[in-house]
Amino acid sequence: MTAEHLCCDVAVVGAGPAGLAASLAAAEANAVVICIDQFPRAGGQYHMQPNASGTPFANTPQVQQGQQAIQACEAANVRFLTGAELFWAEPPKTPDAPFRLHLARDDQAIVIEAKTVVAATGAMERPMPFPGWTLPGVIGAGAGQRLLKTSGATCALPFEGKTVLAGSGPFLLAVASTFAKAGQGIDHFVERQPAALWTKAKAMLRHPSRLPDAIALLRDLSRTGARRHMGAIVTRAMGNGKVEAVEISPVGANGQPDLQQSFVVDGVGALCIGYGFQPVIDLTTALGAAHSYDLSLGGWYCGVDAMSGATSVSGLYAAGEVTGLGGANPARISGQLAGLHAAATCVKETSGLNDTAIQAIVTQLNKHRAFAATLAQLYPMPESFPVPLAEDDVVCRCEDVTLADINAAIAEGARENLAVKMWTRAGMGLCQGRNCGASIAATLREAGVEPEHTGYNRSHFPLRPVSARIAKEALTCEFSPD
Amino acid sequence: MTDLPTSSDVVVVGGGVIGMFIAFSLAEAGMKPLLLEARAFGGAVTGGSLAAIGTHMHGREEFDILAYARGRWRAFSDASQDRIEYNACGKMGFILNDAELAAGKSLVAQEKSQGARSELLTPEQARLHEPLLKGPILAATFDPDTATVNPFLAVRALMKAARKAGAQLRENTPVARVLSDAGLVTGVQTASGHCISAPHVVLACGPWTAKLAANFDINLSIVPRQAQCLASIRQPLGTLHKVISSCEAEGGVDSGYTQIQQCPSGQILFNTVTAPIPTPEGAEDRVGEVPPGFVADSVETLLKLFPALKSLPILRSWVRFEGVTPDARFLAGPLPTAGLFVCAGDNGSGFCRAPLLAQFIADGITGAGTLPDAMRRDTERLYNPFRFSEGHTA
Ligand SMILES: Cc1cc2nc3c(=O)[nH]c(=O)nc-3n(C[C@H](O)[C@H](O)[C@H](O)COP(=O)(O)OP(=O)(O)OC[C@H]3O[C@@H](n4cnc5c(N)ncnc54)[C@H](O)[C@@H]3O)c2cc1C
Ligand SMILES: Cc1cc2nc3c(=O)[nH]c(=O)nc-3n(C[C@H](O)[C@H](O)[C@H](O)COP(=O)(O)OP(=O)(O)OC[C@H]3O[C@@H](n4cnc5c(N)ncnc54)[C@H](O)[C@@H]3O)c2cc1C
Repeated sequence: MTAEHLCCDVAVVGAGPAGLAASLAAAEANAVVICIDQFPRAGGQYHMQPNASGTPFANTPQVQQGQQAIQACEAANVRFLTGAELFWAEPPKTPDAPFRLHLARDDQAIVIEAKTVVAATGAMERPMPFPGWTLPGVIGAGAGQRLLKTSGATCALPFEGKTVLAGSGPFLLAVASTFAKAGQGIDHFVERQPAALWTKAKAMLRHPSRLPDAIALLRDLSRTGARRHMGAIVTRAMGNGKVEAVEISPVGANGQPDLQQSFVVDGVGALCIGYGFQPVIDLTTALGAAHSYDLSLGGWYCGVDAMSGATSVSGLYAAGEVTGLGGANPARISGQLAGLHAAATCVKETSGLNDTAIQAIVTQLNKHRAFAATLAQLYPMPESFPVPLAEDDVVCRCEDVTLADINAAIAEGARENLAVKMWTRAGMGLCQGRNCGASIAATLREAGVEPEHTGYNRSHFPLRPVSARIAKEALTCEFSPD
Repeated sequence: MTDLPTSSDVVVVGGGVIGMFIAFSLAEAGMKPLLLEARAFGGAVTGGSLAAIGTHMHGREEFDILAYARGRWRAFSDASQDRIEYNACGKMGFILNDAELAAGKSLVAQEKSQGARSELLTPEQARLHEPLLKGPILAATFDPDTATVNPFLAVRALMKAARKAGAQLRENTPVARVLSDAGLVTGVQTASGHCISAPHVVLACGPWTAKLAANFDINLSIVPRQAQCLASIRQPLGTLHKVISSCEAEGGVDSGYTQIQQCPSGQILFNTVTAPIPTPEGAEDRVGEVPPGFVADSVETLLKLFPALKSLPILRSWVRFEGVTPDARFLAGPLPTAGLFVCAGDNGSGFCRAPLLAQFIADGITGAGTLPDAMRRDTERLYNPFRFSEGHTA
């Protein structure tokens, strides 16, 4: 077999709100656009399309907006390549040469030559270890949401017993809302931030247009029947071979959980827990774009020019969560901005790139970014472990590396991510540090190394594991000159 | 770095396996060395190494030296409480054509005469050792005594042993200049301007060693060469057993090489280089990517030899730089500026020689005679830093 090869003006990686908006903007500006996503359906996390008809999700605004965006793209001749995993991207060999994207789909290699690339790779959960976090039945809050949305007609989590939803941030409310729509009950809702209604109300009043959304989310939470524990965190998951019980503790004035006042919930089947998200930076780091660190944006993110979405690599644009967490609205608008500019660099008869239009988009973007910043302030992501870990707690689950292993490496002179990786194998497993990176940074931070100096797990070939045969087919694919 | 001392017995520049072994040997000999590493200890080519140690390779003149070094590694592994994953797994050289067969036969004959246990295997015999080796080999060379170590744990154990013996080690401390006065070394200056006085300085900076020496108008014949590797997702242990390598015919490493092995984590590491890959501009300060052609060649060789690994999932790759000299041997020994020593030019097999060279450099500085006389003389001759200079006679 040989690789299938395709050419386009703009390749958009990711079909969430940012990717869909970028694709549409570029296609409407007369660019030939291919939009790639690893999931079987376009939509990303936010617009995730249900995989069965007649589920309660079908009528939600998120799904319907997503459907409209996908249809608009199709009408504008965007070509979707879904179920396709991007495993490598080569930058242009010369200034006029195209990027080369290498994909695997259905055991087949595909190579795309693209004049420009828009990275709209989104965000992933930022797992934070706590005692018992590796027990089966403990899953990310986002994973819980995805499980429900893709559970087809059953519309229920595949676990027996009580359900606990825990962590921090507005996203927890969004997950609760999904649970409510699915008719999936929640027994306990555990939010790290105290209720502090006054501060939240004051902050929300600065963004009055968002109040109805907030009220709807809270109403959905009520519908789940959850007992709420505000200003509390899950300090332990317990069980024999799977999670059976969860320990919940109030957070004291010093920000630490007060274990003296903890209580245990028995009969638990699922603990969905999430303290936040982090940008998916494997494509942008592999292509060598500049990245910065800001906890309120999710940690390491890809820097872009505010007026165009251009990264530090010529021809590479980025939009959405990969440029710093902000949610679906800034993602959509930044996608439009990046798509327009990506198209303008490679299409002669382009439309839409006039200064007033761009300025209007940037103003919108800044407004939504400001709201995101407000939320990030209300629900700061923990930079350290929310619960002090015991020495034998696992930090890197791919390679079974414990806190003690990492602390020993630090004591012997490891001062950065790379050194911890080399000496302990934390980050050398299947996820290549995507999951444990933040935890290693948290451990180094306790030893006095700030996350900015810890470094990130820069991606290298391949971005995702790929079979030897497909890698060879893709990388030896010859293009006939046109 | 504010905690840097202002003086030291001896400064070692570079914290790869070579520099670290030198610091350890100096400390063992009673000195108080200070090792300065520009970035992370063992983070450069040392940390990208397959770290096979043995005699079964080019440079048969170095046989005794390689055998000595392997013995020292084994002793270090036994003595250190840290496990460095020393694994005497043996090495097999696959033979695909008549030219390689001739080279393989002569390698085995020569090694046997030097006392090695190597032998030439038929394909059937080779498969007894390596059942998945179903590819079209004509024969295979085999040396049962080649070992591997875990490169990261080896550096970490060396650091621990060196510190225990009195060495000081500092990372993230690049040396900008070696200082001298009237033909005598007086110390080093770090990139942040800190000066450390020392009567002895050892340059063990790997492929970039020539830079620091150039300040003295000393022209060291070391150039960087790109080296790279692929690693798979963990496979069941015992998928592969030996270090598998190409059997070098004419032309040595430059005419191409292959190395395939499974490390104790279960990952299969493999690389095939068919022609030297040029060192890109600015490589020292940039993070490189493996060339597509390298991936294709490496996969092709792997699958030719081991067809059963067709769906092997590749997980990771890395690019590093080795220091290359015209005759593929180290430059090791004193330089004309009194007190200045060099130990670099690893040519892609520094692990094999590190303990011997470290002992040699330490002896040169302390004046002790730890190495047997004949071996010291051979080392002086084989690795003389000026053997390529005009007017030099062996
Ligand atoms: C058996 C084995 C298995 C391995 N498996 C994996 C794996 O699964 N995943 C994995 O990530 N790695 C693996 N490696 C490690 C790999 O060799 C690299 O050490 C590692 O990938 C480098 O980390 P990085 O990619 O973050 O650094 P890079 O992205 O490679 O960046 C570091 C850059 O800094 C340069 N540099 C120069 N000097 C130094 C120095 N002294 N310290 C630090 N950097 C320096 C490097 O040359 C490089 O260009 C494995 C190695 C072995 C031997
Ligand atoms: C894929 C691969 C497979 C290999 N397989 C084997 C094998 O099987 N057997 C074997 O023997 N060898 C093997 N090698 C080669 C082996 O890894 C090297 O020969 C060895 O690590 C060289 O060690 P070094 O200390 O000279 O170099 P390095 O590891 O490069 O160390 C030099 C150090 O000096 C530091 N430095 C440079 N300039 C300065 C400065 N100005 N100030 C302070 N510090 C500085 C650098 O940061 C670096 O850490 C392999 C290499 C690769 C890439």
